[in-house]
Amino acid sequence: MVVDPSQAGMIAVGAGIAVGLAGIGAGMGEQAIGAAAVGAMAEDEKFFGKGLLMTVIPESIAIFGLVVALILLFVF
Amino acid sequence: MLKPTKMTRVVIAGTKDLMETTVSTLHRLNVLHVTDYTEETEDFKIGRPQKSASKFSEYLLSLRTLSSQLGVTGKELSSRKKKAELASQFDEKITTLQKEVSSRFDELRSIEYKIKEKEDLISAIKPFFGLPLPLDAYHGYETVNVYTGFIGTDIEPRLSKITDKYEIFTGDYENRKIFALFVPKAFEEEVQKLLRDEYSYVELKVPQLKGNPPVILNELTNEVSALKEKHALIKLELDNINKEYSEFILAADEYLSIETQKAEAPLRFATSPNAFIIDGWVPSRKFAEIESGLAESTGGSVYLARLEEEAKEEDIPIELNNPRPAKPFELLIDTFATPKYKEIDPAIMIFITFPLFYAIMLGDVGYGIVVAVMAFIIKSKFKSGGLNSLALILLLSAVLSIVFGFIYGEFFGFPIFNIEFQGEPEHGILGIAGPVIAGIHLPIHRLESVQSLLLLTLIIGISHVFLGLIIGFRNVTVEHDLKHAIYAKGSWMMILIGGVAAIAKLMPAMMSGTPVPKSDPIFAGGVGLAIIGIILLIKGEGFISILEIPTLLSNVLSYSRILAIGLSSAGIALAVNKIATKLFIFPNGEYLGGGIGLALVGVIVLFIGHLINLLLGILGPGLHSLRLQYVEFFTKFYEGGGKKYTPFGYNKKYTEE
Repeated sequence: MVVDPSQAGMIAVGAGIAVGLAGIGAGMGEQAIGAAAVGAMAEDEKFFGKGLLMTVIPESIAIFGLVVALILLFVF
Repeated sequence: MLKPTKMTRVVIAGTKDLMETTVSTLHRLNVLHVTDYTEETEDFKIGRPQKSASKFSEYLLSLRTLSSQLGVTGKELSSRKKKAELASQFDEKITTLQKEVSSRFDELRSIEYKIKEKEDLISAIKPFFGLPLPLDAYHGYETVNVYTGFIGTDIEPRLSKITDKYEIFTGDYENRKIFALFVPKAFEEEVQKLLRDEYSYVELKVPQLKGNPPVILNELTNEVSALKEKHALIKLELDNINKEYSEFILAADEYLSIETQKAEAPLRFATSPNAFIIDGWVPSRKFAEIESGLAESTGGSVYLARLEEEAKEEDIPIELNNPRPAKPFELLIDTFATPKYKEIDPAIMIFITFPLFYAIMLGDVGYGIVVAVMAFIIKSKFKSGGLNSLALILLLSAVLSIVFGFIYGEFFGFPIFNIEFQGEPEHGILGIAGPVIAGIHLPIHRLESVQSLLLLTLIIGISHVFLGLIIGFRNVTVEHDLKHAIYAKGSWMMILIGGVAAIAKLMPAMMSGTPVPKSDPIFAGGVGLAIIGIILLIKGEGFISILEIPTLLSNVLSYSRILAIGLSSAGIALAVNKIATKLFIFPNGEYLGGGIGLALVGVIVLFIGHLINLLLGILGPGLHSLRLQYVEFFTKFYEGGGKKYTPFGYNKKYTEE
């Protein structure tokens, strides 16, 4: 798709919004899981691995945002 | 490979006089996983521990106390201790050791307590250096109250409103004002109120001692150093005891642990007044070991049976069975869940895909080398256990990362080969153009080929999810039957394949604005296949399962993280390099154009930037690669819930027969 130069800036803004909002969303998801994981680790240190893994699960959302941004920047 | 070790159920029965020999033999063989006997009947009760059990565990307790008091840590012994030798002298030696150690240890504790007390006194006295009074001047009055403390303001004006019968001394201690106030008891209430309202007032208690503060301080300091000397002396004595006896303590600990384990073993057996029965599992290939071992030690007087009848799947203990290179990856399986007996053990698949995903994400020769060196150091420090497995996993992943770094042409974010980046030519470290291998022109610059790499990650995702569904199909077929497998997994395969075919035709049409290719056989076939899949899914799993169909899309899209994580890591490295070189080391295109100082800042930026990126580069790819296994791959087939195979026995490190 050929983009008019005047729209190139809008694409960059869109990419920024995609990453930023997705990051905030992922952060909100991770805060609850992270807190619970630390709580579980306080009880039993063996939960470290599982807790860390659980904590990165919402990170998908941030990555989806990043992918959308990449598509906007590189594909269009 | 792919399946846990084949197990055989074994029942051993015999008369009680042979129980001890049997237990010893089994313990030595270290192959039988004992199933705990729990349902008591009229004839068979849970066995009682042997009489020696309490003695052994008592000694073990004392030994462990000693071990922690002396601070004994595990180490290699010069030679293994003989079991018979330990058996004959452990009680005597432990008793002597207790005499030697516990009195010294108690003394050590009391000295430490005294030192702490005196040091507290010292810090309590120090502020009173600022006042010209001996310590006994502060207490022992019947009609006068004494107030001492820090204060920020002059309280005399307010004090004189209450009374003029007071005496106040002031002085300085570490830039704070200290005071001592003597007032008749009659004004207690008013003075207390005054001090309570004065926010800058901090009360100080005067220690109950006699003499001038400097003199007392001197005495106390001397006492403390005398105590510390004594402390060091006793510590040295304990260290010597530790040196002399640590090998004995380690060996005796092992010996007593083994004996306690053996003595308490009957708690897991079924026993009648005259007989015992042991029920358990053994890897089929090791059955002969038990057979010959017991025949030898008991002369064939113990009855041994192999039960071929089907047992409940959950009762069979699981020993994962993988070729050596894939062994470390069993750690990742166990972290998630131990597979059930009839399930596929996916360790061998993780062995391939985990390092591959990791390497595609990290993909930098420089980072790969650093991670590989770190993994190698950890591996040589920890010879066994979880950290060793983790290091091996990391090592394999790092080596593969170096290969991918070569393909991407990245060394700490710098280009290895001459490339053209964003339309401008850039010189690589090697100063040559990339080679052509198998028709592919290297390097494949990640930031320049986002589109094709994105497509690649999606293909990886589709194949990986499809592989998961195939294994799931097999698991359901084995556990239930083919019909269930088609409903539960086959339907998903059809939706996936059909969906992919349809979207592959649909997307280009939408991007270029041409009409949807309804008559294209691939598009039509894909849509048809997906619809059949959905119908099968609804038939098998109910209407509500429609809600789950979008998860397939998000599962496949999730693999785009392989690209995203890699790009962010490459992006950070590139940014760090640009900032450091263009801004500090080559300002305005001139080498050291900003002077040595600026160039040094550049080097620091380079170092810290890459350090942070490296840490992210270990955590990010590792966790996300694992997550793809656990969340996207395992959910397609893996249930888990098996028990780990833990043979009755002990892995001896310090003792021998």
